[in-house]
Amino acid sequence: MTWQTPLFLLVAGAAFGYSGYRFSILVRLMKAHQGKVSPFEEIGARIATAIANVLGQKAVLKKNPIGIAHTMIFWGFLVITIGTLEQFVSTLYEPANFEFIGQTAYMGLMFLQDIFTAFVLFGVGYACYRRFIIRPEGVGKSRDANIVLAFTASLMVAIFLMNGFHILGRDPFYQNAMPFSHAIAKMLGALNFSESTNLALGTFFKWVHMFIVLGFAVYIPSSKHLHIVAAGPNTFLRTLPREKAMKPINFEDESVTQYGAAKVTDLGWKDALDYYSCTECGRCQDLCPAHNTQKPLTPKMLIIDLKENLYRNKQAVLNQKYDEVTPIIDENVTEDVIWACTSCRACEIACPVFIGHTDKIYDIRRNLVMMESKFPAEVQTVFKNMETNASPWAFAASDRANWAQDLSIKTMAEAEADKTNLDVLLWVGCAGSYDDRNKKVLRAFASILKKAGLKFAILGNEEQCTGDPARRIGNEYLYQTLAKTNIETLNRYNVKKIVTACPHCFNTIKNEYKDFGGNYEVFHHSQFIARLISEGKIKPSKSFDETVTFHDSCYLGRWNNVYEEPRAVIASLPSTRMVEMKSNHDQSMCCGAGGGRMWMEEKIGKRINIARVEQALETKAGVVASSCPFCMTMLTDGVKSKDMQDKVRVLDIAELIDQSTSR
Amino acid sequence: MNIYVCIKQVPDTETKIKLNADSSGIDTTGIKWIMSPYDEFAVEEALRLKEKNAGSTVTVISAGPARVVETIRTALAMGADNGIHIEIAENADNNMAAKALAGALKKEAKVDIVFSGKEAIDDGSAQVSQLTAEYFGMPYVTVVLGIEYGATSVKCKREIEGGAFEMVETTLPALIAAQKGLNEPRYASLPNIMKAKKKEVKSLKSGDVDVSDADQKIRYKNLQLPPPKQAGKKITGDPAAQAKELVRLLHEEAKVV
Amino acid sequence: MAKVLVVAEHRDGRLKKSTFELIGASSAAGNETHAVLLGDGVADLAKELGTYGAGKVHVAQGPALKFYTAEAYSKVVSDLAKSLGSEIVLASHTPTGRDFMPRVAAKLGVGLASDCTQLAFEGSSIKVRRPIYSGKATAEVEFVGAGPRLATVRPNALGAPKADASKAAEVINITPDVGTLKTKVLEVVKGQSARPDVTEASIVISGGRSLKSAENFKLLEDLADTVGAAVGASRAAVDAGFRPHRDQVGQTGKVVSPSLYMAFGISGAIQHLAGMRTSKTIVAINTDAEAPIFQLADYGVVGDLFALVPLIKEEFKKIKEH
Repeated sequence: MTWQTPLFLLVAGAAFGYSGYRFSILVRLMKAHQGKVSPFEEIGARIATAIANVLGQKAVLKKNPIGIAHTMIFWGFLVITIGTLEQFVSTLYEPANFEFIGQTAYMGLMFLQDIFTAFVLFGVGYACYRRFIIRPEGVGKSRDANIVLAFTASLMVAIFLMNGFHILGRDPFYQNAMPFSHAIAKMLGALNFSESTNLALGTFFKWVHMFIVLGFAVYIPSSKHLHIVAAGPNTFLRTLPREKAMKPINFEDESVTQYGAAKVTDLGWKDALDYYSCTECGRCQDLCPAHNTQKPLTPKMLIIDLKENLYRNKQAVLNQKYDEVTPIIDENVTEDVIWACTSCRACEIACPVFIGHTDKIYDIRRNLVMMESKFPAEVQTVFKNMETNASPWAFAASDRANWAQDLSIKTMAEAEADKTNLDVLLWVGCAGSYDDRNKKVLRAFASILKKAGLKFAILGNEEQCTGDPARRIGNEYLYQTLAKTNIETLNRYNVKKIVTACPHCFNTIKNEYKDFGGNYEVFHHSQFIARLISEGKIKPSKSFDETVTFHDSCYLGRWNNVYEEPRAVIASLPSTRMVEMKSNHDQSMCCGAGGGRMWMEEKIGKRINIARVEQALETKAGVVASSCPFCMTMLTDGVKSKDMQDKVRVLDIAELIDQSTSR
Repeated sequence: MNIYVCIKQVPDTETKIKLNADSSGIDTTGIKWIMSPYDEFAVEEALRLKEKNAGSTVTVISAGPARVVETIRTALAMGADNGIHIEIAENADNNMAAKALAGALKKEAKVDIVFSGKEAIDDGSAQVSQLTAEYFGMPYVTVVLGIEYGATSVKCKREIEGGAFEMVETTLPALIAAQKGLNEPRYASLPNIMKAKKKEVKSLKSGDVDVSDADQKIRYKNLQLPPPKQAGKKITGDPAAQAKELVRLLHEEAKVV
Repeated sequence: MAKVLVVAEHRDGRLKKSTFELIGASSAAGNETHAVLLGDGVADLAKELGTYGAGKVHVAQGPALKFYTAEAYSKVVSDLAKSLGSEIVLASHTPTGRDFMPRVAAKLGVGLASDCTQLAFEGSSIKVRRPIYSGKATAEVEFVGAGPRLATVRPNALGAPKADASKAAEVINITPDVGTLKTKVLEVVKGQSARPDVTEASIVISGGRSLKSAENFKLLEDLADTVGAAVGASRAAVDAGFRPHRDQVGQTGKVVSPSLYMAFGISGAIQHLAGMRTSKTIVAINTDAEAPIFQLADYGVVGDLFALVPLIKEEFKKIKEH
């Protein structure tokens, strides 16, 4: 036993001991959260996504070359850790090492470690170039990041120096298996140190390396580098792609007195894991339509601010003195930040560690609306209208079916009375019932259904608003009142299949009504029309000689992964050319109406819909196609404000197909 | 302070009016009932006054058939403490309603101030506030846009024609009838909605407040609906002709200018 | 031939047109028409009441009556009605009339028909009809029991009266006993702008983006001033900076319900309609014949607002001078 063992035991013990203590605080903080966390199902799918995204770095590689640089650093870390462990082991007990795995295997290991050490340095080099020279906005300035890069770089330099000196002092060493270290050794040889000096320096740099590792271990709990521990579990526990519904609150549970999140501890432990996983990469911020139009909201800062709120309240949280925890809404997270969100979920799609930004915002809204009655003044009218008239606009419930007056469409009540067998229920939605522009879309879609020979009915005056605006604004109670009434009506008629032309209705009936006993097969009209065309029931025949660009609706695309069907529908029009906007598919830019923002005034920064229309106009398309009544309103308004209404038309895909098909 | 608010339950503004069988009133089937909007300003004002005076209570009173209890609960959900429902007939007139409200107020130990809306949006007579005050024996100020509270009196900003207003001072107790713009009524928070479901609403019968059929002073009959809205007229011609015809129609046909 | 008492109203030293309306209608129907005039230093107004057909004008003056108070007016009027044995008592449904007449009704133990839009004299009673449910229906009011018939009448409902300079009234001075008043008027403050607020105006003239500039809105302001209207704006016009947000009419702005809404260059998207569709009469002026607002408008004019606004203004002026 040499002096190295007790020294190592002392230093490593202190470092890991302290680091372990800090980690235990982080875990305790996490567990002290009072919000409910849903159980995690579909373990198989979770394992698959963890492998693909952690080992395979799939989400990270969405953005390159930085994705490649990170993959190199990540894999380097995994491989080099083997070497680090070997260092620890051999320091504790000198003769011990990993050579027992076999000569060839060990040489392979040395080779890999050497290559990856170089890769890590290349990765860090590129990262520094990007951070200090290119300076993308999403990355920002971060002392933490600089320290981590310095730590990482110095670790690799220490390894190369250690290897170099070991090669010089311990000939033969594995220099044939380590091309980079061998080259370093050759350079160091020029110093002409004695063999014993080289050996000593080899050991010295081994200790330097170990010290840096231990220093890193001590530093990590206070750093965003915590993600190396948290991101893997966070990926395993992520919201799976099909679960984009918002979670209900159980109002029958009398033990619940806090609705929504007033304090950071009202969120769940999984939310804390999200903060720990955040690498502050800024990808969420880059795609956020609110941030890109100068609103105070950026998803990145929201996560960081929530984390810092948790840390500021550390003592109170650890002692479970929840009364003393300061509120979420403060000078960092203002109410404007919370109301700016359009629930487009672009932040979540962009995030390489699968943080769920959106649900936190909506939990915070729930508290603001239901507990504190604090919300933009214009929204109170919307609530009152939904409470009294079951529609966000103040139109009479008895007028709901007026749009179909001369179309001879049966209501469910009539169909039940004369025992008609129906193929599908057409869910009209409030826009289709009351908005003159959208009524035209519904008429076009009804016409398509008739042309396809389908037997369908509408609920007529029995239809109520699905409640989507209430839920997105944060009034979960009002949402559930409307949802439950609708579900009762649908179940009474034994409805099985529903089609709707509104992605908001589509999303909530399909994904969220099941929490209240509503289980139906729900289609968006783009999916329905695409199927009718592929089955030959609808044949677009009239030529539509235009260039069309399609605007992906958030609630159709990112929320429900429906990207190709609307495009297939447009592509089926004879003589039509399609062109994509700069941001499309899952990177599409929101029109600005989601998250209940359709009902709020946009007072800060540039209008989101203007920004999106600018992208549409850049394509020089003569037609902007949409498949959502809100997108249609926003895009039409945007085109008008650019004074382009004579050159560019905004049309729904149903209108495009209807005018191209004959009887 | 013992603060009182008189409220009325009315059909929602979007209701399509249908006449009942003998045209003496409307058909109430399928109607959505709400608190008369002007009464919301009254409830809000009462709540704000309570918040400024620790230990105060707000009691909401409404006269009508059993269904009005729902609207009393809406006021309780906004934050009122107690509710009183006086059961009177569906077709009771302003006088009966006022006597009932005044009767209920007289049974209370101490009445410091009473709020109401300046009129109910269904009947629109703007009488009940004044009648209630008269039967109770207190002064009133109606169409109030602003109030300054004193210990034994209040100063009210009362709206009159032409955008002008009067500053009226009155001793307490008094009845103040709210105009739109007095305040911004709050949206009931969910905990308050939950609590309101359990709050007690005292129930009184007409006899308890000395109201009988003899108190009916007016009755409606021969209700008529306006002629159905014609499709819009498109006015054609050159601009001068269009302007002339438009204004002629507005003056002679629509009678709005 | 009934004994009618009309409560005269005055403001800033001038009698109200609606008072003449009531006196004129009562006198034309052959009733014994009394008028009561309350105030301080208003005696010379009594003569004018005579020219519209009042037979007797009872003038109640005193410092306590300098400003209107419900307490004072209701006491004087009910005392006078009792002593005269009036069978019908009328006032206009103005901020004053609607305020004190219920109190008179309570003191006399009778009912009151408020805001009548139709009134006919029938013997010693009146046949009245009034709007209910925000004008969605009208109802005839039946008076139950004995006693005088009380009504407040909506201004302009009975039509413009004609003065006859040859007619004169007997002026009777009465000393009012109002007792100790619990209410007192401290001051009367004039309205700050001559133009009413968008939500309370009975006529709203609204403009959209087609006005093209804030300066051009002056055209609508001039038009509005001819009829004492408020000026509103669509969201597009407010966003473009032509008008302040407080003038915005729509779902996220103000909801208005005037007797007349004139929309110049507004297409009528649902957000705007949500703010004005309950207006009694809607006029749309737009160059686009397909604009959705024409579906809702009672009168539609397809044309250029810049040409039409000055012409409409001239037509309005002619009406007002009439």
